[in-house]
Amino acid sequence: MSDLKSLYLALQRAFYAQPSDLNTATELLPQLKIGLIQAGLLLPQGDVNFQDLVVARDILEIGALTSIRSRDIPSFDRYFSQLQTFYTDYASNLPPSKREYPIRGLNLIRLLTQNRIADFHTTLESLPADVISDNTFIRHPVNLERWLMEGSYSKVWNAREEAPAEEYKFFIDSLMGTIRNEIASCEETAYESLPLKDAVNLLFFTNQSDLVTFAQQRGWEIDITGGAVRFAQKGEEKMEIPKQKLIAASLLYARELEQIV
Amino acid sequence: MADIEMKAGDDKPKDTKEEPKEEPKPEPLTPSEEIKANAAQIERAVSSLEPRFTHRVLRSLTALRKRIDDSALQTAIDSIYPKESETKKTLLTWLPEAPATSAEATMEVDSASKPTSTAEPVPEVEIYLRLLILYHLLSSNSTYDKALQLAHQTVEKMQALNRRSMDAIAAKVWFAVQRAYELAGDLPDARPLFLAAQRTASLRHDDEAQAALINCLLRSYIQYNLYDQADKLVSKTTFPASASNAQFARYHYYLGRIKAVQLNYTDAHTNLEQAIRRAPPARTAPGFYQVVHKYFVVVELLMGDIPDRSLFRHQVLEKALTAYFEIVKAVRTGSLAQFQSTLQKHAAQFEADKTYSLIVRLRQNVIKTGIRRLSLSYSRISLRDICVKLNLDSEEDAEYIVGKAIRDGVIEGRIVHEKGWLECSTQANNYGPEVSELFGRRIAFCLNLHNQSVKAMRYPLNAHRKELAAAEGAREREKELAKEIQEGDIDEDDIGGDF
Repeated sequence: MSDLKSLYLALQRAFYAQPSDLNTATELLPQLKIGLIQAGLLLPQGDVNFQDLVVARDILEIGALTSIRSRDIPSFDRYFSQLQTFYTDYASNLPPSKREYPIRGLNLIRLLTQNRIADFHTTLESLPADVISDNTFIRHPVNLERWLMEGSYSKVWNAREEAPAEEYKFFIDSLMGTIRNEIASCEETAYESLPLKDAVNLLFFTNQSDLVTFAQQRGWEIDITGGAVRFAQKGEEKMEIPKQKLIAASLLYARELEQIV
Repeated sequence: MADIEMKAGDDKPKDTKEEPKEEPKPEPLTPSEEIKANAAQIERAVSSLEPRFTHRVLRSLTALRKRIDDSALQTAIDSIYPKESETKKTLLTWLPEAPATSAEATMEVDSASKPTSTAEPVPEVEIYLRLLILYHLLSSNSTYDKALQLAHQTVEKMQALNRRSMDAIAAKVWFAVQRAYELAGDLPDARPLFLAAQRTASLRHDDEAQAALINCLLRSYIQYNLYDQADKLVSKTTFPASASNAQFARYHYYLGRIKAVQLNYTDAHTNLEQAIRRAPPARTAPGFYQVVHKYFVVVELLMGDIPDRSLFRHQVLEKALTAYFEIVKAVRTGSLAQFQSTLQKHAAQFEADKTYSLIVRLRQNVIKTGIRRLSLSYSRISLRDICVKLNLDSEEDAEYIVGKAIRDGVIEGRIVHEKGWLECSTQANNYGPEVSELFGRRIAFCLNLHNQSVKAMRYPLNAHRKELAAAEGAREREKELAKEIQEGDIDEDDIGGDF
């Protein structure tokens, strides 16, 4: 246990150093995890020493935050699922951790960026309603999701400055890419043509050259002289008759009807 | 002849009128007598291997448990078990010492035509009595701990006995155990117990108990919002197809709730519909009916359909669903302001019903409906006006939201950015393949209903023998007739127009 303690202190030093010493931290973490498993603390069963649990939780939280800062999403996943037992089952025994809600919020944003909306909502259900409305860390991803669903992308854009913690910014940047694609597909259907300057604003670009590259990617025509972007008109689509489905359905009906005596 | 016939006709209705007057005279059985009668039925069920009698006994359970009290149970136990019986002593320890009034005791002795049985009745009777005691203990607040202990003991006994004839009663006992835990507030502790029992039940092919236990587990998960664990349970177990309707109703209800949280609204809708169909009629179980309908309304709104107004006028549902009715109105008019105010007004009730998070998701439905209404009424509307009418925050927002709506197919139109307005085109005739899909879903539902009803038809065991006997008799008669024709006894003229 003693080397566990010394490793733990070393980890704390590395993590809390400004700027955080991520490499040492990532090296120390696997050793700590092995130590935890040997002490039976990683997956605690039954009564375990109170203090040890707090230490174990601390180590896992530091691990989670380190992996975010080093942009290692799968390992964040693993740490978070290991932290779940500490948060849900031992919630009554342990003092609340300061980092619990930021980490939960980070998890929610991660689900958003991966477009796993069903999991997002399921996780949201497990949190009590007052936490959702009051806690800034949780409110941020919840609002983001709401605005995304409604389609008020400008709010999302403005919200990137208001991220409550450093680590959120990383996710929001990747979210921006998704949002741009969304806005672009909306504009393709909704507009016939857009003046260039407005297109730049709507898509949150800073200059026209970015817009031009983006437009070429999506296959829009740029009319430089007229200063507008023209979207390919979608002609009347020929309705595809879903042959397979119709045949399957008709056969089913025939079979059922024949079975009626 | 006519006169005599009329008189006979007159006499008959008088007789029948008198008889119904006489029938209510025999009093309804006192609870203890009913318990004794039920015990006799259970014995019959075990001896004849017919589960019908046990089911009949259990059907009377809900009505009976409201009427029992300590003295009734005591007298019943006294009379069912022989004098010196181990089980009787253990059963009596669970009941408080109720001073049996001598008058009642003498009455029992006088009217007891059957003597106290000398043989030890079957264990099923004991489990049944324990079930009654358990319900009785659960009805009053102070005895919850005792109820828990009794529940534990009963469960151990049941597992040890492992008798098939006890299955139906065992299922009811599991439900009572779960209720005991819930009222004592310890539901998570019961989970390992239920999980282990569910494994044994599926090993022993004990369908009823399996169904009851799966429902207990689902309820414990959903109560604590552990939806993903509930989802995993559902995916790993198969709900037995031969379970009773009540269990199916519960199962579909829990399944519908899980699916609704996971944004799978179509499936949730089907499941809740099944739950409503299999539930007991609205008068007998108003609580369940109301709860399922609350979720049903919310899921329908989330799917984009407006539920039928006649639903809210149903007698049982009228009061319970007032808050939901207002939400439906707000969504229908597409006004965000109304939606917000209704939401705040009834927030407490939605929290209690656990539908709050689902209703919050309705916000975008309100906006969509609002946009759709605008596009239907205007051919050209400026973005600023849209912003004002829908209570949005800014013109930019309005532009994005309308663009998204057009892309999602909610409305048809074009935004002209330079002039800053939306031009709405009329909807093309959309009688496309979606209609056949809708039809297909409804046809599938009706066919499913038909097939399940056919499967559920019951044929009494020896009915076909009666048919055989009738067939035999018919054949005999035909043979005789044929013989007589041959022998020339009956001429074709005599028979008449039959042939």
